[in-house]
Amino acid sequence: MFKQAAWLGWEMESNWTEPGLFLIYSIIKPVAGAFILVLMSFVALFIGGGSQNLGQSAMFAYLFVGNAFFIYVSSVLFGCFQVIQSDREWYQTIRYVYMSPINFYTYIVGRAASKVLIATIATAVTLAFGVFALHIDLSMSLWDIPLFLAVMVIGLLCVVAIGLCLAGLSFLTAKHTHGLAEGIPGLFYLFCGVIFPLSVLPGWGQSVGRALPITYWLEAVRRLVLPDSLFAQVPTGLEQADLAGIIALLLVSTAFFFLLSILLFRMTEYLARKAGIIDMTTNY
Amino acid sequence: MTHAAETRELTRIFKRKPKRHLLRRKSAKNNEKENGGPVTALDHVNLTIKEGELFGLLGPNGAGKTTLIKVLCTLLLPTSGSAYVAGFDVSKDVGQIRRRINMVSGGETSGYGLLTTRENIWMFSQFYGIPSKVAKERIDELMHTFGLHDKKNVKVRTLSTGERQKMNMIRGFVTDPEILFLDEPTLGLDVNASRTIREYVMNWARKREHKTVLLTTHYMMEAEMMCDRVAIIDRGRILALDTPANLKRTIRKESTVQLEVDSLKSTIPLGGIKGIGNFSSKDDIARGTTNLTIIVEDESAISDIMSAITAQGSRIRSMRKTDPTLEDVFISMVGKGLEE
Amino acid sequence: MTEPGFIRLNVRALLGRAYPRVIGGTRELSWIFFETVLPLLSIAAYVFIYKAFLPPNPDQTMLDKVNALVGYVVIGGTMTAFWLNVLWSMASQLYWEKEVGNLQLYMMAPMSRMALLGGMAVGGMFMTSTRAVTTLVVGVFIFGIVLTISNPLLILAVFFVTLIALYGMGMMFASLYLLYGREAWNLSALMEEPIFLLSGFYFPVKALGQTVAIGASIIPATLGLDALRQLMFPVSGFGTQFYFFSPELELAVLCVLAAVFLVLAKLSLGYLETLAKREGKLTTRHQ
Repeated sequence: MFKQAAWLGWEMESNWTEPGLFLIYSIIKPVAGAFILVLMSFVALFIGGGSQNLGQSAMFAYLFVGNAFFIYVSSVLFGCFQVIQSDREWYQTIRYVYMSPINFYTYIVGRAASKVLIATIATAVTLAFGVFALHIDLSMSLWDIPLFLAVMVIGLLCVVAIGLCLAGLSFLTAKHTHGLAEGIPGLFYLFCGVIFPLSVLPGWGQSVGRALPITYWLEAVRRLVLPDSLFAQVPTGLEQADLAGIIALLLVSTAFFFLLSILLFRMTEYLARKAGIIDMTTNY
Repeated sequence: MTHAAETRELTRIFKRKPKRHLLRRKSAKNNEKENGGPVTALDHVNLTIKEGELFGLLGPNGAGKTTLIKVLCTLLLPTSGSAYVAGFDVSKDVGQIRRRINMVSGGETSGYGLLTTRENIWMFSQFYGIPSKVAKERIDELMHTFGLHDKKNVKVRTLSTGERQKMNMIRGFVTDPEILFLDEPTLGLDVNASRTIREYVMNWARKREHKTVLLTTHYMMEAEMMCDRVAIIDRGRILALDTPANLKRTIRKESTVQLEVDSLKSTIPLGGIKGIGNFSSKDDIARGTTNLTIIVEDESAISDIMSAITAQGSRIRSMRKTDPTLEDVFISMVGKGLEE
Repeated sequence: MTEPGFIRLNVRALLGRAYPRVIGGTRELSWIFFETVLPLLSIAAYVFIYKAFLPPNPDQTMLDKVNALVGYVVIGGTMTAFWLNVLWSMASQLYWEKEVGNLQLYMMAPMSRMALLGGMAVGGMFMTSTRAVTTLVVGVFIFGIVLTISNPLLILAVFFVTLIALYGMGMMFASLYLLYGREAWNLSALMEEPIFLLSGFYFPVKALGQTVAIGASIIPATLGLDALRQLMFPVSGFGTQFYFFSPELELAVLCVLAAVFLVLAKLSLGYLETLAKREGKLTTRHQ
């Protein structure tokens, strides 16, 4: 079922246009998002009176890498949420999929898989833009590649788990795709050290950030792809832990969110079935 | 005299777009056969619907009924030919036409789930500029007539299929259109709901001599019962156009024989029998039988029919001769049933 | 009953379509959280970017400059509510309507398509305004922004003319959905961030350079935001070096843009509807 759901997800993502246009779309979207941060950083550096060479700014490198990998978060969360909303409100196929013998949880994971693939393209494009156009210094030794891949897998599992929590919530909400899909990633955008270090937040904000697995995922990724000399200039708020410690924290928090996603999904699914709103339409 | 609707050599062709596939694009693009080629939904249709008529359009699925309605409702432009509604050209005078028409389709899921039944209908009435007070009075009256009065403050998403369709019908009548298009309005409804709708439509049309209804259906009983005139359409072409009684008279000389036999391996031998007009067959897998409807021009062919059946080792379970129906007319013209 | 005139018909149609939006907002209250609390998080994130670039032990001048930029972010965040309403609750709404089967009933009715879209916009205004006001008020209090309202009439004029121009542009985009399905939806998704970028939602638009900023002025939000910032922060921590044209000139240009977009909207809605009817796509679902 996972394979079929992934195939369906990919078809829905890609078959609306010619392959060439789809490729252009996949490139423009992430680059435009990155450019906003580029301009903001440029303005910040300008008014600071310092060098406006973004490639030399450790803070800029920090936020750029965080933003690039955050594409996974926004894309997958939106994708998971949208599965139920679109199947329910637009295509009205949810009842047929739901009552079939497949595991609906697995179905959503499969549909999210295509989002992961597209996010990978977008992230790669963004990083390439950063390296070649903005001269950001990224480096990773060959020995670190397996570790990087492992960190990516754990991080994506965590993101998918959070996406499934959202998908569960969408059983109970009206068609507010963009409100939720924009808002929930905003939570992580603010508290997980995506575009600024955790140390910038007030104390309580840092505590929230330390409870979220995405914080550790991004920290681990940055430590692996950014040169140590550059990374050391940014007070991330997680300097006390070494890389192994960060990965361990990532593993534990991912496991917790994975279990939470199963629990929350089952609970919201049960509530929706009880209320008879699995296939409700609320478009207005 | 201005007709309610008129078409002249009306043709509508749909081109099929090649299926996009990220990996197999070339084969899809080059293979027209795989794409199916263009589809002629309406093929030089000439039709005149008089003012005050309850006109039926009878045909199987894919015959072009909905396409014709969409052209007349100004949702689709003709590929060639012309169409007029209340004397206005569907291509040029859309504003004039839209003030005078309304449409209800079978299985419609229009409206908003969060609104009540009454609110939904009221909303649509506003798109026709009907004063709120007038609209609400009409809605209340129609809801009583259709037996939906106790559902007026209930959210639409909780309505059953039949109730939903009644709501759609009310939406169609609330604007008091000059011409009402009903596209398979009783599709999927139970007997009682269908009867309510049919009775209301007939009463509405009979009591208002300048109001016209164009009804499409593939239920021949519905067309026979309701319509002043019926056009039979198949594959975009009008095969016949007359009153139901006159249409049935066209096969007066022929008999219709209905047989229930054990499942037949093949109906090909029947085609070679002299004295048979046309026939249709339908397999009933649950009962293990084949139901045959045969238009017989010469009754002496009946013995040949029975021989052809028993030669296949099939037993005849029942046989009867019936008066011709519109479906028989259709079979005699097309060679298949309305529901095939 | 006499036939209603053009104005009466379309006013009733506008109110009729606005109704489900207004009522939906009172019956499904989950939007309050999604539309007011959650957007503040993204705004806060952008605010902290500027704070993150502060050097250690910043002086008062530096703090004033950053506070000015923070004010820009909050104003931009306020306008985001309206831009997203244009893009997703109006322009692409025709896509939802097509998918559920309402579009054909709308197209068959005698009302103007602009009245239909206007109704969607007006109906969504309650939710959108709630989001915008919440963003502004909470942003001002939490981040300690000091606004200087010296010319309230001009501020209101700029704001409303920007909205009209923005919604006119949105109506123009909406016409694409008559012909296209998912292509148009993906185009809307594609446009979201480039518009944030080119209009300077979170930074002064002049940072794009004079030439690019002039080109970007065709987007109503660009000049609208710049004018509002000038009027609300007349002398910011970094003086006026990041301001574009004068607010009066920007208002004049916005008036022209509003008129142009409304006319273009009418023309494009008519043209694309005809094209869609010719190609048989007006009522085709799941394109």
